[in-house]
Amino acid sequence: MALKELQHLYWRAGFGIHPETMHALPKRRNDVVEQLFADSKSSTPLQLDLSFMEGVTIKKIKDNPEFAKDIRDKSRKKLRDLNYAWIHQLAQPKELLREKMTLFWANHFVCKSNNVVFAQQFNNTLRVHALGDFKAFVKAISKEAAMLKYLNGNQNRKAKPNENFARELMELFTLGEGHYSETAIKESARAFTGYNHDFEGNFNFKNKQHDEGLKTFFGKTGNFSGDDIVDIILENKQCAVFISDKIYRYFVNPKPNKKHIQAMAEVFFKDYNIENLMRFVFLSDWFYDESNIGSKIKSPIEYLVGLTNTVPVTFEKERDLIKIQKLLGQTLLDPPNVAGWKGDKAWIDANTIMVRLKLPSVILNNAVIASGEHDEFKKKFMKKHKGKLPFKTQPNWTAFLENFEAVETKDLQDYMLQGTINKGTSDYLKTLRKVSKQAYCVQLMSLPEYQMC
Amino acid sequence: MDRRKFLKNSALASSLFFVPNFVKAFESVASERLGYKRLVIVQLAGGNDGLNTIIPHNNDLYYNARPKLAITKDIIKLNDDLGFHPSLSPLRALFDNGELSIINNVGYPNPVRSHFRSMDIWQTASGSDEYLQSGWLGRYLDQHGKQPYNAIEIDEQLSLAMKGEHFNGIATNDFRVLYNSAKDPYFKNVLSHYNDAHLSEHNLGYLYQTMIEAKSSANYIFEHTDVKTSQETYPQNAFAKQLKNVAQFINSDLDTKVFYASLGGFDTHANQNNKQTKLLSQYAGSVAAFVNDLKRNDTFKDTLILTFSEFGRRVKQNAANGTDHGAANNVFVIGKGLKQAGFYNDLASLNDLDTNGDLKYNVDFRSVYATILSKWMDVSVEEIIPSQQKQLNFI
Repeated sequence: MALKELQHLYWRAGFGIHPETMHALPKRRNDVVEQLFADSKSSTPLQLDLSFMEGVTIKKIKDNPEFAKDIRDKSRKKLRDLNYAWIHQLAQPKELLREKMTLFWANHFVCKSNNVVFAQQFNNTLRVHALGDFKAFVKAISKEAAMLKYLNGNQNRKAKPNENFARELMELFTLGEGHYSETAIKESARAFTGYNHDFEGNFNFKNKQHDEGLKTFFGKTGNFSGDDIVDIILENKQCAVFISDKIYRYFVNPKPNKKHIQAMAEVFFKDYNIENLMRFVFLSDWFYDESNIGSKIKSPIEYLVGLTNTVPVTFEKERDLIKIQKLLGQTLLDPPNVAGWKGDKAWIDANTIMVRLKLPSVILNNAVIASGEHDEFKKKFMKKHKGKLPFKTQPNWTAFLENFEAVETKDLQDYMLQGTINKGTSDYLKTLRKVSKQAYCVQLMSLPEYQMC
Repeated sequence: MDRRKFLKNSALASSLFFVPNFVKAFESVASERLGYKRLVIVQLAGGNDGLNTIIPHNNDLYYNARPKLAITKDIIKLNDDLGFHPSLSPLRALFDNGELSIINNVGYPNPVRSHFRSMDIWQTASGSDEYLQSGWLGRYLDQHGKQPYNAIEIDEQLSLAMKGEHFNGIATNDFRVLYNSAKDPYFKNVLSHYNDAHLSEHNLGYLYQTMIEAKSSANYIFEHTDVKTSQETYPQNAFAKQLKNVAQFINSDLDTKVFYASLGGFDTHANQNNKQTKLLSQYAGSVAAFVNDLKRNDTFKDTLILTFSEFGRRVKQNAANGTDHGAANNVFVIGKGLKQAGFYNDLASLNDLDTNGDLKYNVDFRSVYATILSKWMDVSVEEIIPSQQKQLNFI
């Protein structure tokens, strides 16, 4: 595999790759791709210490407002820990592709929970199914405590159906807008009545609240359960098209290509096996087309994890990690709404672009981007903040130098930037003195080109 | 219809291409500078308790529902039924001058009681069962914005309200830091070499374009803001500082149509009274100073201030001397020459609550937006507010 192709694959299936790792990989595309899948066979769940919840019951919470508040506060703190744990797992993954897929699915089956037990369990369910059977995946999601709460499934009762989940199931999770009727929503909502969860987050089916009557859904009539509804929805090829389109825009190119998406849908519709679909994508010649390389704007998490993949960084205050996610516009476990982050161009506005361009120098090099000129900003900034930077970090340049040892400084851009560099910028880069590999690394990271993958 | 509008709307608009440049330039100066209307949005985050803000001081149902929480002392009575929370005394003059209009019972069908979701609904102007990924002010920018600084939020990051489908406003907490950060010599070098041939449609072209806009917006705000224009004394708090910033921008005549400021902490589930007293006093004191500042510079007549919160709170107090999330709430509109100052409408009945025990709405918040867009900003509501809304009469 050519250097460019290999980097492209690893940016899409992961968060970039450094030269040191690259040399250890097999030469043939087929083998590289198969290794990605083999490495992601297992699944490593996030497992925080949640012992503060031991012995806590609904009754104790209801009876004692002070105790309830204490538990809520602890849960909130643990949610931040869960955010850090997830970021660390993305930065140091055992199963690279599975983690990337988990991140993708988290913005597909979008859910938010203030209950850390539910949030962690939901996150691990995404991870377990990330490369598996999509049908089983949807069914599992429909039974997750976090989702039941988030889309009011736990209020969906025979006497008073709540349609929220049924609507999003079709609009956002499986078919897309315009491929179902309001009647279909009403009928399918009846099939999900009685779905509930217990205090620990286990699925709990309440027979008495389930509507046992006949439902007519997409031309079929029967006493359907929620699982039946999922089966019927997936019989519609539109579901395979909808998911393929979303995967294409995330993993291949934000500009959809109908022909390629159709080909993906053919593969996916056969058995709804996610791994087979992804294998088809990564082995297709068109995946490696010039027009797809560097065509995507990194999400804030791809940007951040990719950056620490190149230069490992430790934040003295972990809370700064949340601050940075907020500034960049994507805080894990805290999506804007059930439609998730819009992505692509929506990541970038006048504020986020400045943060992205400035952040590498701030966390890696005391806010300095070498330019051979006097830096007024730095001077004023340091004066105003009494020499303090907004984030205290420890960059591990030793690791960087080891990983990029085989690369000459003047060639660094070929390893750090994806896609074409603007002609003017490329000319400017040639004029830089490139005194140190570190300084040039920061310069490259401070370019619009670095935002692309 | 005025001449400019006529030209814009008529089929003859295309002939404008043949109008000499200086005529066009004159037109844009004329329409942009004469009666340049600005909108300031103030968001009270957390769900302000409207019933203890505008108090139904003659209503037993109110006192019965809130045995420990009802305001009983120092209510500023505005009429036989309603009065201000004592903390709102700085706004009394505005009320008496006809510069404040209070719209009661503002909300939307099937209200959502989650902070995040409800704020989302208010910011995007969606219904409770639809999810929009752009804000209503952002969509205004899509239609009428030219530069990010046409809409400024006083914060570190941009709210959804200010993000359009393809155009965004800009956020800044400190415009000097923004300016200095954009001024980095390395960025200057990169941009001076940048070659935009064939890139504008491409994602990378978009990144460069946004970088250029960010830099020019930062420059524009820095160079055009005269901090000396604002001589008014403001209270000492972060919210007042935000409004002071806005006043500096307005008084310096920045080409900015929309400003966004926010005050948080209204989620008063427990021990509400102390907390709300403090917050309302910050709000009222800062707004009063802000209005005085604008008046002194003769810019108040062209400024409209809209204050909202994502929901009101439950009529009945809870066991912790607080209130839980509710539904309909009041909205404040402050400006010169209001058509209907004082109370726009009566408070909804405390006898006819919804199944949760919350106030029922009878004014859709999107009709407030629609009215402001068409009667104040003088633009078409279509494309900005997705649902059909009736026009109100407060301006």
